[in-house]
Amino acid sequence: MSNAYDTDIPDSVDPVDDDCVEPAGEACAYTEYVEGEAYDDVPATGEGAEGVERDVWDTLYEIEDPEMPISIVDLGLIYGVSVDDTDDGTVATIDMTLTYSGCPARDMLQDQIQEAVEDVDGVDRADLRLVWSPEWNLELVTEQGEQDLRDFGLSI
Amino acid sequence: MAAVEELSEPDDLTADEREAVQHQLFRLADDEFVVAERYTEWQVKAPTLESDLAFSNIAQDELGHARLWYDLLQDWGAEESELIWERDPSEWRHSTLAELPFDEGDWADPVLRSYLYDVAEDIQLRALQDSSYPRIRDRVGKILGEEDYHREHAANWLERLCEEEESRARVQDALDRLFPHALTLFAPTDEAVEERIDELGIRSEPLVTMREEWLDEVIPFLESLGLSVDDAELPEQYDVHHSQLELPEHTGRDQSHTDAWFDLHDDFTHTYQELGRTSAERIMKDPDDE
Repeated sequence: MSNAYDTDIPDSVDPVDDDCVEPAGEACAYTEYVEGEAYDDVPATGEGAEGVERDVWDTLYEIEDPEMPISIVDLGLIYGVSVDDTDDGTVATIDMTLTYSGCPARDMLQDQIQEAVEDVDGVDRADLRLVWSPEWNLELVTEQGEQDLRDFGLSI
Repeated sequence: MAAVEELSEPDDLTADEREAVQHQLFRLADDEFVVAERYTEWQVKAPTLESDLAFSNIAQDELGHARLWYDLLQDWGAEESELIWERDPSEWRHSTLAELPFDEGDWADPVLRSYLYDVAEDIQLRALQDSSYPRIRDRVGKILGEEDYHREHAANWLERLCEEEESRARVQDALDRLFPHALTLFAPTDEAVEERIDELGIRSEPLVTMREEWLDEVIPFLESLGLSVDDAELPEQYDVHHSQLELPEHTGRDQSHTDAWFDLHDDFTHTYQELGRTSAERIMKDPDDE
């Protein structure tokens, strides 16, 4: 699990120097929202998935972020989906991340995904695994996701 | 750092390895949870709207990070409610810096406390980036990425507070009071277990090295603001690289705490106890189930 994503993790995201010209002590400091770096193998988008796995992806595409009209897949939260036949029946395993570690919607969103995926025909159980590496950043938003966010009124 | 062997999955650790990982996790999780619990006391009370929002958000970040670490402690079967709401207060391992109460309106305290805490947290997290325990390593980057602005916020406020004599004196008071407790951030939970944490490569720097790194960063900065660390309740030193810095009576790490902690624990578990909870239940029925 831990080595599933063979990616170099950045030490930290260095903020771009702001253009604050005030002398130290004056109130002028703000955070730049940096784009971050792209990764080769995440997010997963379900391209080429077939059968039950395709249905799981279609279900995930229908689930939106709790605050913005964008699918969680296009937001780049899903890192992997696998559907396996086990002794317990057909299990869909979903690796996902969240944009923010303190996300107050964590349980709500996970419950919603779990229920929706377990409703897919041919899936007996859904296992959700929260993954924090590599870290989510804006580069993980898909083209469709960027369009949805622009339509919503965000500049991206 | 010498090459260390990667530790196994949670269930495959030896008893000694597991104990070492758990001590490291409780250090991290309890610090974050308790400091956040204190920070939330400033909600709607911080001096400006911006500082109120910033500080509330910092508290939310730290709660999120606490949860990332408590998640890993659940690998051995405990539920989140057992780790937080049902754990006896005498079993917590946070530094006493996190638990001390604020005097009403004493904004210098949370600003300074956050500075001392966040510089230490940064050093401690960096020492976990190459952890031999993969599940710790995988979470460090996410947390570090959410920490930078905490230090910016605290340092920025400290600079402003130290520009004038009256407010600088308030910061100095807070420094005299908090500094010995800040040293407990680097106090051992248990000497033998801390040594094992280092030997197993769970973190790449021993506590004493991290403490020196921290002192080398915070002391020059505080002095540049006209503050004196000498007046803090320390021995005459500080030739910090050689002398023993005196710790307060309770370090927190060894599960000994100030009275303030037991009061705080009573407060934040009050509702849970009053409702007779044995687990964190849902208040509302899931509308989808109706």
